[in-house]
Amino acid sequence: MHGMTTYFLRRALLVPITFVCITFLVYTVLRLVPGGPIEQAELQIKMAAMQEGGSSGIVDVLGELQIPEEALKELKKYYHLDKSIPVGYANWLWKIVNLDFGRSYIYGEPVLKVIISKFPISIYFGLIGYFASWLICIPLGVTKAIKHKSSYDTATSVLVFIGYSIPGFVACLILLVLLGGGSFLDIFPLGGFRSDNWAQLGFFAKIMDQLHHTAIPVFGYLIGGFATMTILMKNSLLDNLGSDYVRTAFAKGLSEKRVIFVHAMRNSLIPITAGVGHAIGLLFAGSFLIEKTCNIPGMGLLGYTSIIQRDYPIILGTLVFLVLIRLTGNIFSDMIWALIDPRIRFGK
Amino acid sequence: MFIKIMEIILLLVAGYAFTHKLLSWFFIKTGKKLGFKMEMTPIWKKRINRFKSIKRGYYSFIIITTLFVVSLFLELYVNNKPLIIRYDKNISMPAVMDWLDGLIFFKKISVFDKKSDFGQIGSDSVDYRLFAERCKNPNFANEAIKTKKLEIEDLKDELKDTPVPDKYASKEEIADYNDLKTLVVNIEKEIAEIRENMEIFSSGKAWIIMPIYPYSPYEHILDLPQRPPNKPYLAHPMGTDDSGADVLAQLFYGFRVSLAFALIVAFIGYSVGVIVGGIMGYFGGWIDIAIQRFIEIWGSIPFLFTIMIIASIVQPKFLLLAVLLVLLRSWIGITYYIRGEFYREKAKDYVQAAIAMGASEWSVMMKHILPNSLVPLVTFAPFGIVSYIGLLVSLDYLGFGLPVGTPSWGSLLDQGMKYIKYYPHLIIIPSIAFAFTLFTVVMIGEAIREAFDPKVFSRLR
Repeated sequence: MHGMTTYFLRRALLVPITFVCITFLVYTVLRLVPGGPIEQAELQIKMAAMQEGGSSGIVDVLGELQIPEEALKELKKYYHLDKSIPVGYANWLWKIVNLDFGRSYIYGEPVLKVIISKFPISIYFGLIGYFASWLICIPLGVTKAIKHKSSYDTATSVLVFIGYSIPGFVACLILLVLLGGGSFLDIFPLGGFRSDNWAQLGFFAKIMDQLHHTAIPVFGYLIGGFATMTILMKNSLLDNLGSDYVRTAFAKGLSEKRVIFVHAMRNSLIPITAGVGHAIGLLFAGSFLIEKTCNIPGMGLLGYTSIIQRDYPIILGTLVFLVLIRLTGNIFSDMIWALIDPRIRFGK
Repeated sequence: MFIKIMEIILLLVAGYAFTHKLLSWFFIKTGKKLGFKMEMTPIWKKRINRFKSIKRGYYSFIIITTLFVVSLFLELYVNNKPLIIRYDKNISMPAVMDWLDGLIFFKKISVFDKKSDFGQIGSDSVDYRLFAERCKNPNFANEAIKTKKLEIEDLKDELKDTPVPDKYASKEEIADYNDLKTLVVNIEKEIAEIRENMEIFSSGKAWIIMPIYPYSPYEHILDLPQRPPNKPYLAHPMGTDDSGADVLAQLFYGFRVSLAFALIVAFIGYSVGVIVGGIMGYFGGWIDIAIQRFIEIWGSIPFLFTIMIIASIVQPKFLLLAVLLVLLRSWIGITYYIRGEFYREKAKDYVQAAIAMGASEWSVMMKHILPNSLVPLVTFAPFGIVSYIGLLVSLDYLGFGLPVGTPSWGSLLDQGMKYIKYYPHLIIIPSIAFAFTLFTVVMIGEAIREAFDPKVFSRLR
């Protein structure tokens, strides 16, 4: 068989193994930790029962989060808490394989449905942010490489370092304070995916409203990858500019523009293009913070609120999705790399 | 005000001298005493000189190290307790005890000063700032004495007017008369006490040395102009948060916590990473492959989410959180580089010679190869620290970081999020502190990278 095919087959085979390892780990942690979630939930139920004779509300008198008794029973049944950890895990895994993720007791809907409904929102912001960073970082990196060690290079380097020292969510927070109404300017809304009256708006108003809500989170995503991507672009172009084929191209008498933008650029874009797959995974990891900050009802906010509200079916469901996205993203990256870079042949 | 500024400058200069003159001298001395050579190889000398010649990085390094070492003594100059307080025969050093408490973590030695021991009424903790004000103005109670005297005169007038009860007087009349009498005596006693108290203050038997900034991040200040949070004003130049704790004090303590946390995570993570990467590179073969596969699996854990899940259950303390971060993330990155270095170094003659001379595998790895593969460790450390500070702030911001009540930048940001419309200082101030710290560390990292791993790009044009 071809070397590449076996390599990717092997990588694909590693996905289920990795998946099982990670989910088993988290499952075990959730079961083993003293005073773990289920025990805590049980305790809370008992306390509530003692206090007011069998409450079934989500929030009790003290404002403490409660898990309703039926939900607890369902939880126990779903996660097979009466069985040993491996058996319970195997049963749970079988359900996951059959796409049965259980029921969220906060939303009262199947987990899969909840997660899928949140998915497009995350992808919308993540992708726009990612491509916006392409639009800015690639030209910046290229010009920095061409004018290496000039005053322009130094000035933009300061910008890059500042970008590196401000995480995306902090940038979002600062922008929300400065531009989101309140003490300073009132240009953008204070977070959210769309306005409440979205349905009543006209076509153009809809577009404007959406753009309004998109700007700040996208800037957060942009800042997140800004420094690394710019420096990656710059260094990879610089590497190529020093290589023999560029020297040959110059020696042939080609113009500088042609050498840089046709010959060197093509090869310098490889590492950035190949990063797409990794970025997909990262988009979701970073989004907890940005989605919480900008109050975007996507996967990240879902994961965050489910942890706070102890909605375990959703927590494990989100985890499964995060792991799958990341693993496929990694393989995807390798594939792109192998496709566009003729020098790379995995598995030889 | 002027004195305060001079004190701060003095503190920073002393901190600089202590960190960069005394400490380094001390290290070299003790190192020599312990039998180490304490001399750099020429290549390290060259690297360090190159680092020093990159001014922005070198100055950033001096600023951050000085600030961090100075911040280790925070209890002594940002605290609501005095360095030393004396009232008549009672002497106490609560701030020093606080500081020692942090140093000797296994035993609690901080003191509790009762109000009644220090000329104040009550049995709870002394109000030190009030005490300090009284030291400045020993005639503080003149007004109080005046009003009390007036009160006594009134009472005496009343006493004159009321007839001395004779034997025909009713029981109530006698009781009233006696009450009046005791009241006069009591107030006279009070005046005497206040006089005595003032005497002690004015005769110099009571004095206090307050820290430069007399507020603590743990103190919920009660005498605020409005319900907290408060916007910045003169007494609290950076405002207070919603529990009435001073923001500036929290910034200082948060700086120390963040940096200490990042250093600990980086240190433990690198130790583990060096050992694992060393084993991979040194032994190679199936051990290498097995660990590589393991790292591939382990590295795919969505670790922020996992930490959030675990933290929501166990509510980790400082050290547990650090260990969690190490376990889930920080040991992985460095293994690749150390593995590569070990792999390369192992093939060199000096290692083969050491093996031939019968050195144990551990000593070959740690004594011979490791000193020659430190470059990635040093160059990645600052960037590691940047990301761990960022992680701690993110976790605190999400509410899954250090225990509630620990002063931290992340929890300030979280509060700022709550009051985003009306109290922007809660976001802007910690963000600036945070960005400034990370920026300086990034500068150090960039300079180190340039000094240790200079890339020369050759170009035709």
